[in-house]
Amino acid sequence: MVQIVISSTGAGGLAEWVLMELQGEIEARYSTGLAGNLLGDLHYTTEGIPVLIVGHHILYGKIIHLEKPFAVLVKHAPGEQDCDELGHETGTRYLVTALIKNKILFKTRPKPIITNVPKKV
Amino acid sequence: MRTREEVDATLQIAKLNADELLPTVHCLGFGPGASGADAGDFCLLELEPALCQQLEAGHSLVIRGDKDEQAVLCSKDKTYDLKIADTSNMLLFIPGCKTPDQLKMEETHCNIIHTEIFGFSNNYWELRRCRPKLKKLKKFLMENTYEGPDSQKEEDSTRSKYTTEDLLDQIQASEEEIMTQLQVLNACEIGGYWRILDFDYEMKLLNHLTQLVDSESWSFSKVPLNICLQELGPLEPEEMIEHCLKCYGKKYVDEGEVYFELSADKICRATAQMLLQNAVKFNLAEFQEVWQQSVPEGMITRLDQLKGLALVDRHSRPEVIFLLKADDLPEGNQERFNSLFSLREKWTEEDIAPYIQDLCGEKQTIGALLTKYSRSSMQNGIKVYNSRRPIS
Repeated sequence: MVQIVISSTGAGGLAEWVLMELQGEIEARYSTGLAGNLLGDLHYTTEGIPVLIVGHHILYGKIIHLEKPFAVLVKHAPGEQDCDELGHETGTRYLVTALIKNKILFKTRPKPIITNVPKKV
Repeated sequence: MRTREEVDATLQIAKLNADELLPTVHCLGFGPGASGADAGDFCLLELEPALCQQLEAGHSLVIRGDKDEQAVLCSKDKTYDLKIADTSNMLLFIPGCKTPDQLKMEETHCNIIHTEIFGFSNNYWELRRCRPKLKKLKKFLMENTYEGPDSQKEEDSTRSKYTTEDLLDQIQASEEEIMTQLQVLNACEIGGYWRILDFDYEMKLLNHLTQLVDSESWSFSKVPLNICLQELGPLEPEEMIEHCLKCYGKKYVDEGEVYFELSADKICRATAQMLLQNAVKFNLAEFQEVWQQSVPEGMITRLDQLKGLALVDRHSRPEVIFLLKADDLPEGNQERFNSLFSLREKWTEEDIAPYIQDLCGEKQTIGALLTKYSRSSMQNGIKVYNSRRPIS
């Protein structure tokens, strides 16, 4: 049988991230993939409503405090660290890298931005 | 990197009024290593608040399972079924992103935060609390029961023995659930290995104790440990005497001395098992007489002490009783009901309850299980349950 450990360094070592939930898919404009590319600008109104500008769209969303938080687990394959404190050879492990207690949900239809003349900066 | 001027320009084009927005903008971009969770390097695990607290306290969780088993996730005291839940939405994981409340609480407001998206996913791991899968535990420990230190079995080093670590490696349950079950099984840690006592050996130890109680005219609720060890030490190892006291009684201290309060229910139950295991069926009336005579004087036998151990057939003439142990039955719900209905076509709730009690999850009651897995009807004014489908 396999035992895969999910270890945590405790609150001191755990960052708090945010989840953003979007409907549909995000495609990169060019075929080089998403990595390294900008997504968009995230603003909040003074009332706390998230506003996301992505490409030619504006999306309005809401902040949801998660009843069931998430943990982000990052896999460590065997070989990265040879033995644990007991001297056992460890197989695959996961490290809890962050906790997510809030999510920004965008589920309304995006509003298109109509640009006549792009403003030059 | 995007500048504040560019951000403001975009706001203008989008016809958004900067006055209605908080001063801080997050410029979101995909980090250079950002990838999808499908690559398998990271994933999202949904937690109930108690589990989240345990991770924050630095505790670990463990996934356990064989290749052909459904994976479970264990905390130190609970077991959960682990499943992958798909969502049609895209989930982005964003480190360093602040919520409006967090921004408002800050003293200085920077006006631009360059935020890198770590990764994205359209699924996550979902947990549902489940019963620990403990059937294997008894099976392993029965491979090599303990018959006392002088038994030849103890000299055979090829016989299987399990340490706590071995059990954690093999059983899909949390450590605490395994420890609790070991106690239920009256298992004993001998030489670092967990052992179940051979039933006859366990009865031998128990008989030594009850005979000593009788000859010393002690009350069953005040059995002194030190005298037991003194008198019985020449016959059996002290650890086994004390183990037997712990299994059949409750320990307490009175004026600095250790005593045990023996449980009449447990002793009567064990005595019944000893009588019933040697026969297929027992005439109920005869059994009750022999049983009462076999238990220590002063203890009263009652049929309800035998729930989950023996079953009475009140429809046969004469009425009979036979051994039926709940923990010998299959672990899965449907298989359990199938085997019960093969044994007997129709059950009353009172008779079947002890044999399905352990199937009840956190929110499932006996009633709910019966509704799901059986069909009810009335027989002689009493509600009975039978199988939903024909049992072959």
